[in-house]
Amino acid sequence: MKKKLILSLLATTLAATSVVGCGSGSTETTTTSSKGETGTTVSASPDAAKDTTSGDKTVVTMWIMPNSGEAEADFMTMLEPFLEANPDIEVQPTVLDWGSAWTKLTTAATSGEGPDITQLGTTQIAAIAAMGALEDLTPVYERFGGEAAFVDATLPTTQILGAGEERYAAPWFIDTRALFYRKDICEAAGVDPTKDFETWDSFKAALTKMKDVEIDGVKVPALGMPGKNDWNVIHNYAPWIWGAGGDFIAEDNKTSVINSDEAFKGVKFYTELATEGLMSMPALEKNSSEIEALFNAGEFASMFSGAYEIATLRKEQPELAEKVGTAPIPEGPEGRYAFFGGSGLSVFKNSKNKEAAYRVLEYLMTPDAQIAYQEKCGNLPAVKAAFETEFVTREEMRVAFKEQLQYGKAYPSVAGWGPSETLLQKGLSNVWDNIMGVFGPYDPAKTQEFLDQTASECTTIYSQQ
Amino acid sequence: MTKVQKVSHTNKTPKKGLMYQIKKNKLAYGLIAPALVAMLIIHVIPIVSGICMSFLKLNQFTLNQFLKAPFIGFDNYKEVLLDPNSTMRSGFLDAFRNTAIFSVSCSILVISIGLLLAILLNRKFRFQGLARTLLMTPWVVPSFVVGLLWGFMWQQDGVINRIIVDVLHIMPEKTYWLTGPKVLIAIMIPTIWRTVPFVMLMLLAGLQQIPVDYYEAAEIDGANAWQQFRNITLPLLRSVLSIQILNGIINYIYSFNIVAMMFGHGAGFPGKYGDLLMTNINRNSFQIWQFGAGAAATVIVMICVLSLVGVWYKIFQNDLVVND
Repeated sequence: MKKKLILSLLATTLAATSVVGCGSGSTETTTTSSKGETGTTVSASPDAAKDTTSGDKTVVTMWIMPNSGEAEADFMTMLEPFLEANPDIEVQPTVLDWGSAWTKLTTAATSGEGPDITQLGTTQIAAIAAMGALEDLTPVYERFGGEAAFVDATLPTTQILGAGEERYAAPWFIDTRALFYRKDICEAAGVDPTKDFETWDSFKAALTKMKDVEIDGVKVPALGMPGKNDWNVIHNYAPWIWGAGGDFIAEDNKTSVINSDEAFKGVKFYTELATEGLMSMPALEKNSSEIEALFNAGEFASMFSGAYEIATLRKEQPELAEKVGTAPIPEGPEGRYAFFGGSGLSVFKNSKNKEAAYRVLEYLMTPDAQIAYQEKCGNLPAVKAAFETEFVTREEMRVAFKEQLQYGKAYPSVAGWGPSETLLQKGLSNVWDNIMGVFGPYDPAKTQEFLDQTASECTTIYSQQ
Repeated sequence: MTKVQKVSHTNKTPKKGLMYQIKKNKLAYGLIAPALVAMLIIHVIPIVSGICMSFLKLNQFTLNQFLKAPFIGFDNYKEVLLDPNSTMRSGFLDAFRNTAIFSVSCSILVISIGLLLAILLNRKFRFQGLARTLLMTPWVVPSFVVGLLWGFMWQQDGVINRIIVDVLHIMPEKTYWLTGPKVLIAIMIPTIWRTVPFVMLMLLAGLQQIPVDYYEAAEIDGANAWQQFRNITLPLLRSVLSIQILNGIINYIYSFNIVAMMFGHGAGFPGKYGDLLMTNINRNSFQIWQFGAGAAATVIVMICVLSLVGVWYKIFQNDLVVND
């Protein structure tokens, strides 16, 4: 009997404890993070914000993401001039990875024990600020050159929309996606890249011509884009939704309008490029990295991607890079909008080294530091002055990105945006399923149905307090 | 592993008080104490706090209050099970259905395939060692790598469709395995592929414990292979099988890695037909930040699993006792 009891107890414990691994207890699991490709694992210790002075030096702790191949080394190289000029400051970066960063950041925000400075994705700033964990940087913005120094579309991401004028971050870099196209395929198809990618209609007409072109006996799909299994699902839809006059949230900052007629029109135009044979259907199962790899292998005539693709092309496929051009996202019936993501830098409220942290930020916001860092990371600087330098002129593929700055638009900076992204991702994935014929032949009414459902779910999240 | 070993002979000693037992076996208790304390910290505290969280309004705005967040009684449970406007409910019910189909199918298939392979490997043949090693290979591949690799292979232009359509001509055209109702098959096959070796190994160990004399005697009595299997192999493997069934039920219900990795390394959504309970709860808790409702869903799953374990124990309790 006793043995039976022991066995039943063992079985019960096994069953009960297994829940913890994937359930509520998981908040405790992600406490270490990888340092990009440097191969070392760093424990992001929760006591990072302690008043840290080593000798006569002030130690500024900082969390960054794997922004470049050698994340920590590249960051420190960029920081060298600052450290030489400021021998009283030492900067200790810890590289988190995007996957586990959120848990670390929320833990830091709720416990009040974080680093002095942290990098935050543009969509994370409002959420962490709403937890009351970030220092208002408005009083020190002038030290970074003032608001006018930054690319306009990056500034709204540093605030909580509709909740005052405080700025909780300084924009660090921009991630935006422009069109990469094969010049040789355009030429063979009779497409003029300087004007045929200007509007939605001309873009569609150009893709129609490009899809039948054979280069070296091979026909490639006119456009390759990832569909559902990707972190960028929403980013890829956004320009089309905005271009059709649609948006994600109504002016009350609580109601989702992803199901409006305008948003539907944008979603329909973009997704139907696949049903019309202009966008590769098998590609819809792939993620952004796979699409970029296939484009770099000459498998697509065009794709939308970020500025980091330029460096990859130049490095990995220098021959193909000569045949690739870039163009800003086409103009929709209601305007031209490019998705603006990227990151900002924030100072934790509990930091004991705020003045030193501001001095670090001051340096990181200089055009020289911004350019030096983005030469390594491949994204775009967030300060306007950087675009007036050789950074743009010495790389012709960057010109379209510079032009696109004026069309930049970021997601609404509300606290509920982060959680709603998953719901939007799920809803827009269902739209791709509809395109791929999972629910029978493609039916636009089904797309509307999914958007309605997503809007209702998102409204619940945005209305939450 | 073949039979549940007798733990101690304490049931033969006359009943004495707890303190007497502790005093008598103080070295043993002293040795297991650190492990016991660690288990309490690692398992019991998170479970209890998880249960507490399920009664709180715990979202991104109240997370910094953690267990001091507003108490809302059973509202989270109502939201998960009854509220038609909930962001969780429809997905949770789909995930529940998918997980049930997935767990039952995987349990049956893994045990059947594992048993078949174990019986085959229990025979003497050339390259037996090599065959065993090769069959064990899937087990050493980490589950997230399995998910990642099969995610590539199932793609419409992936290797599986190429084999099925271009080489074997079993299907007329390349289908999308990672969307629609077929997605459950795409999740089950890698799970079975990875789990079979372990079950096979356990059953093989069980088979090797069965004395050969039984089979020889049965053969003399004229029993055929099927009769030998039904009347000797199966009854003597029951204790091993029962543990494997329990292990299977728990593992399949808590499946996460393979599914999460197959769909964009956690970015994607397996869809109405492929979402499992753990991916659903993880998404709602840690991406949509419905920590309270996520905890309630976890508790519901935990109650279901404990009930299943109770049923399992009722069925197999006699197989867990060793006759000395």
